[in-house]
Amino acid sequence: MDKPPPHESISSRWSVSSVDKEVTFGDLGDLGSKRIRHGSAGADSEMLSMSQKEIKDEDARLVYINDPERTNETFDFTGNSIKTAKYSVFTFLPRNLFEQFHRVAYVYFLCIAVLNQLPQLAVFGRGASIMPLAFVLLVSAIKDAYEDFRRHRSDRVENNRLALVFEDGEFREKQWKYIRVGEVIKVVSNQTLPCDMVLLATSDPTGVVYVQTTNLDGESNLKTRYAKQETLQKATDLETFDGFIKCEKPNRNIYGFQANMEIDGRRLSLGPSNIILRGCELKNTEWALGVVVYAGSETKAMLNNSGAPSKRSRLETRMNLEIILLSLFLIVLCTTAAATAAVWLRQHRNDLDTILFYRRKDYSVRPEGKNYHYYGWGWEIFFTFFMAVIVYQIMIPISLYISMELVRIGQAYFMTRDDLMYDESSNSSFQCRALNINEDLGQIKYLFSDKTGTLTDNKMEFQCACIGGVDYSDREPAESEQAGYSVEVDGVILKPKMRVRVDPELLKLTRNGKATEEAKRANEFFLSLAACNTIVPIVTNTSDPNVKLVDYQGESPDEQALVYAAAAYGFLLIERTSGHIVINVRGEMQRFNVLGLHEFDSDRKRMSVILGCPDMSVKLYVKGADSSMFGVMDHESYGDVIEATKNQLHAYSSDGLRTLVVGMRKLNDTEFEQWHSSFEAASTALIGRAGLLRKVAGNIETNLRIVGATAIEDKLQRGVPEAIESLRIAGIKVWVLTGDKQETAISIGFSSRLLTRNMRQIVINSNSLASCRRSLEEANDSIASDDDESVALIIDGTSLIYVLDNDLEDVLFQVACKSSAVLCCRVAPFQKAGIVALVKNRTSDMTLAIGDGANDVSMIQMADVGVGISGQEGRQAVMASDFAMGQFRFLVPLLLVHGHWNYQRMGYMILYNFYRNAVFVLILFWYVLFTCYTLTTAITEWSSVLYSVVYTSFPTIVIGILDKNLGRRILLNHPQLYGVGQRGEGYSTTLFWYMMFDTVWQSAVIFFIPLFAYWGSTIDTSSLGDLWTIAAVVVVNLHLAMDVIRWNWIAHAAIWGSIVAACICVIVIDVIPTLPGYWAIFEVAKTWMFWFCLLAIVVTSLLPRFAIKFLVEYYRPSDVRIAREVEKLRTFSESQTMGTEMNQIQDPARR
Amino acid sequence: MSTNTASSSAGSGDPSTARKNSKRPKYSKFTQQELPACKPILTPGWVISTFLIVSVVFIPLGVISLFASQDVVEIVDRYDNDCIPAPARTNKVAFIQGASPKACNRTLTVTKRMKQPIYVYYQLENFYQNHRRYVKSRSDSQLRSPKYENQISACKPEDDAGGQPIVPCGLIAWSLFNDTYTLSRNNTPLAVNKKGIAWKSDKEHKFGNRVFPKNFQKGNLTGGATLKSDIPLSEQEDLIVWMRTAALPTFRKLYGKIETDLENGDTIHVTLQNNYNTYSFSGKKKLVLSTTSWLGGKNDFLGIAYLTVGGICFFLALAFTIMYLVKPRRLGDPSYLSWNRNPGGR
Repeated sequence: MDKPPPHESISSRWSVSSVDKEVTFGDLGDLGSKRIRHGSAGADSEMLSMSQKEIKDEDARLVYINDPERTNETFDFTGNSIKTAKYSVFTFLPRNLFEQFHRVAYVYFLCIAVLNQLPQLAVFGRGASIMPLAFVLLVSAIKDAYEDFRRHRSDRVENNRLALVFEDGEFREKQWKYIRVGEVIKVVSNQTLPCDMVLLATSDPTGVVYVQTTNLDGESNLKTRYAKQETLQKATDLETFDGFIKCEKPNRNIYGFQANMEIDGRRLSLGPSNIILRGCELKNTEWALGVVVYAGSETKAMLNNSGAPSKRSRLETRMNLEIILLSLFLIVLCTTAAATAAVWLRQHRNDLDTILFYRRKDYSVRPEGKNYHYYGWGWEIFFTFFMAVIVYQIMIPISLYISMELVRIGQAYFMTRDDLMYDESSNSSFQCRALNINEDLGQIKYLFSDKTGTLTDNKMEFQCACIGGVDYSDREPAESEQAGYSVEVDGVILKPKMRVRVDPELLKLTRNGKATEEAKRANEFFLSLAACNTIVPIVTNTSDPNVKLVDYQGESPDEQALVYAAAAYGFLLIERTSGHIVINVRGEMQRFNVLGLHEFDSDRKRMSVILGCPDMSVKLYVKGADSSMFGVMDHESYGDVIEATKNQLHAYSSDGLRTLVVGMRKLNDTEFEQWHSSFEAASTALIGRAGLLRKVAGNIETNLRIVGATAIEDKLQRGVPEAIESLRIAGIKVWVLTGDKQETAISIGFSSRLLTRNMRQIVINSNSLASCRRSLEEANDSIASDDDESVALIIDGTSLIYVLDNDLEDVLFQVACKSSAVLCCRVAPFQKAGIVALVKNRTSDMTLAIGDGANDVSMIQMADVGVGISGQEGRQAVMASDFAMGQFRFLVPLLLVHGHWNYQRMGYMILYNFYRNAVFVLILFWYVLFTCYTLTTAITEWSSVLYSVVYTSFPTIVIGILDKNLGRRILLNHPQLYGVGQRGEGYSTTLFWYMMFDTVWQSAVIFFIPLFAYWGSTIDTSSLGDLWTIAAVVVVNLHLAMDVIRWNWIAHAAIWGSIVAACICVIVIDVIPTLPGYWAIFEVAKTWMFWFCLLAIVVTSLLPRFAIKFLVEYYRPSDVRIAREVEKLRTFSESQTMGTEMNQIQDPARR
Repeated sequence: MSTNTASSSAGSGDPSTARKNSKRPKYSKFTQQELPACKPILTPGWVISTFLIVSVVFIPLGVISLFASQDVVEIVDRYDNDCIPAPARTNKVAFIQGASPKACNRTLTVTKRMKQPIYVYYQLENFYQNHRRYVKSRSDSQLRSPKYENQISACKPEDDAGGQPIVPCGLIAWSLFNDTYTLSRNNTPLAVNKKGIAWKSDKEHKFGNRVFPKNFQKGNLTGGATLKSDIPLSEQEDLIVWMRTAALPTFRKLYGKIETDLENGDTIHVTLQNNYNTYSFSGKKKLVLSTTSWLGGKNDFLGIAYLTVGGICFFLALAFTIMYLVKPRRLGDPSYLSWNRNPGGR
């Protein structure tokens, strides 16, 4: 039927993710999976035809219509109350804990806490050992509880909504939660469906209803659903309605449904077009009756309520390597402690009984004494080791995981709030669906983009017509203030809602009526455009009561564009029912009976209607992709026209236009009768209905007379060329994958500046494995020979068949890597994922896929980062994506600004967290060397626990969310700065080692300055411990302060605040008289020595870092550093630099 | 056509539902991450001045620290070895545990005038008062109040004697230092004030004035000093001082204060009871008479550290200045950007 290029036939949009709209255009349709169809014409999907093979009893559910008791007799089907909330009051604690402990980090935490409970290993008191874990669990639990509370509340609202249910002979209002499977309910216009129901009857005599599925898949256009003819009449008398439905078990496929209905002994098959789902809204239909088949949590909408996919960020994976290193450190530290302890114990083994500070024996029991707390040399070492593990546990920064989560939430908040990424036209702001890969956005090297709807608006505009081989493509100037076409009917002026620019010559031609052969053909052409489609016209009122607007609703933007075009030339489609259409032909109402409709499918790549015209003739109109249409034309009679049209089509597609060919044929009575009987037979067939219908369509769609061809412009989205250019400068390789024809794809490539004039194009267009191999290898050699030239690789879907899953993948990858742009045309959806996988498996570089349609889902899920465009095409892409936004150009701020920031922040935060915990652990470790190798801590146990939770964590989180190494403007103006993330400069093993050396130095300074200063003095453990605590907190926070780039008030508050908070905590701990350290902080802070030590520690520990940081930044400046200087000192004007950069890549777009 | 389609699809067929509420994020400097901020960068000027300032501050501080340390007059006398009669030195542990008399005479000479107050310390070395077994063996609540007398679970092995709780319990109290010093100057007794040697906070809040020693040092092994059972713990200052466990294995504890000045050339005779057993772990015992300065005791480390750091900073400031003059880089010069240095190469 319709629109190939436009793809998006109904069927494809309804198909599951593997289907590609764009494919319909190319030759590869047969590679795609089978499409599911729906429609009154009766075609049901293959899946449906399977339903006729008996749904096995054990896989089926039986629903007795209007008899909920019997329905629920054997199996108690789920009621309609829904529960999206995860917990109840009683299950909250166990379930929430269970879920939280899925995290390995928490299990580690727990193990340490459990170890600590063994009496031999009790390093910390019970409270202190459990507190960090309890704190973290509590915070997450509160968060979960709050979210769950909100779910409970919305559940309650949802469950208490009212619906009309047929009970005791009348329709009564009933709360949603009491609706049961088997009941018959009535839904009126604009109501939301409370459950999934099979349609029995509607206010429309033909059984059509229109529904809007925004809540389900986000598509806002109307979809049609049908009640079975057989049930239409019966439903008037519900009391006696007797029948049952046997349907499949609940599943989450919102595009599939199979069932049989048995009424009065007749069996009918039901398909996806006979069911309306919970969450849909009834539109343009007064009422609809249906029987509930799935309720509550078993409805398809509920089953589809799954969260975002979970991915792991590259940085986090990288970080695990360092975590392993840290674990090794930890083991080394613990082993050292255990080994030195072993040596000491061995040396003093004879004196242990009486050493005043050891006293192995308890003499109070018996005179010769008994060992107490001593389990033998071996065990002591063993225990020492594990005590060391407990004391040094924070070497593995558990708090890091929580900090990272909080930071990502914060970053996500700022991304969604970004003004730059708000899309006015769809009123959507940025969505962050996956919360754990924010920083991956800063490391993208490969970008895979869909074309239609992603680079382009997917808003089609009728541009050219070729009628009878003659091109009509002059358009009236855009600014002409002509009112557009309108027509007066019964005193009311009808106007199409959208104006289309028309070719004046063609307009004149159509106005001439049937005067000339040309005019006749033009009329025929527009009549077929107005008739051959599945568009539903909706007449809406305007503020002026005399003017009404005709709005065309349909699932394909191409069809909409064509119908609007027809309307502009005077063929105004006014009404469509399943049986007829009304077209106002320049003021004259004409009624056509729709005798048959063959919907679009991907095998035929065309659709057709059979119309009974007012003059009693029967005509077949066919519309489809050129590739499929020229095959069914009558070449003998119309060879010239076909040739001319072909040439014209070539010109159109070179201009990036999407083309369709229209053909028609008059049917004589016999042909029609023949068709009619086979159509009837096919549409009532129980098995293989879809295949039969396709065959019927194929039989009739032959020997067509060519009427004309259309060209539709798929307009580029705003800012796309600039965005692609920015991304290219940023070093991101952009691959465009499209189902369009090669010429169309290339021309879009030029207009979007993906391709430039000075690029050499390598086109791979092969039909066999051998030729494919040859051309790829030639290409590879030719690139290798001269590397100065920039090359664009253009490859089509057929060649890709030979390449993918083959050793050619490697060659293709090499060629593609050396090319500055890659364009894949006529690609099937599954190939999109294959191409992404090809790159992903061969490099460690990050890939990002962006798309808007169901056909992009596989690609979005395959890539490291999936971005969905929440545009015209429904929400499957968004549902599968990690991030969703309204426009392609938002990629630039997303990657260059937010990605850059997030990566830098996260990389720094991870390193810093390693550092701050390691500093503390090392201070504890040094002390052990002076405590006879026993795990005494001078720092109070509460301080050790609070250190990573309270004393130092807040600033890292704040800085991780808020700090910006560079401003937005400079990042956008210099996309090259993105390379920082691609080269992994923000986090690397080298940086880790630098950090670790610094850590050792700083911890040694913090520990040894007081040690020597207080050696042989009266200092007591608690006082020295307090000094160490405060020194560590100050140093660690100043270290952070040194790296903060933007000091706004929040950063000030966080850093200085956390030092103050730490001091307050130390003081609070020291005013508890039952702790050994009572009042120590006051006693020690009275002395000058304390402050002298503190000052010396702070300056000495940070000195090397400060000096080296300066030297590196001054003499080996990174790009970021230079850019910061530029930003601060404004040493040159922005425009100046932009100018030089642009020159390198500038190439005027073709159109 | 584009704007029309957008609105039409949103409102599809039912204008009443057309959403007029914009989801545009509210603009604020906070949400756009444009809060006013100061963005300092390390310029040579800043860095060199920082180093200069540090050296200007640190060098004088180092000098005054050194002076403070030099002002302190300290007499240290190690006696653990000498106070064991020569014949017993082969088995010091046996001697110290034996019943033979432990008195020992030491003579100290004052080499520089010492102004009062002069602190008398005992210094122990190689004594791990921070050993894990040791520090944990105490009951702070028991020390505070007679109510908690029975809280002795942490005190093993000195928790009870014959079923009766020991007060104060635990290894720390049990090992209370028990050497005593009697000082005389030029044959006149020199008073050593043993009051006020503990922290006031400890006496007032940590050690109860209604808690009296019970069953102390009644076990089979005596660790150290005994306590008079009629004096409350809050007055047992030696114990309070001892219970503030030392942070490091070499430490001093305040024994008392001499409240008269000692003149250069004075001879101090010390009669000491060498009771305390540090011999089993080769611990050293020293008697220390010392004045203090505002910075504490005699320790040159901090002064040297300050001078060193100050010196390094001065040197760095100098070096950076020279480097800056010899090989300056223009800040913010875009020609240093990597893509400008080797155009085309990525």
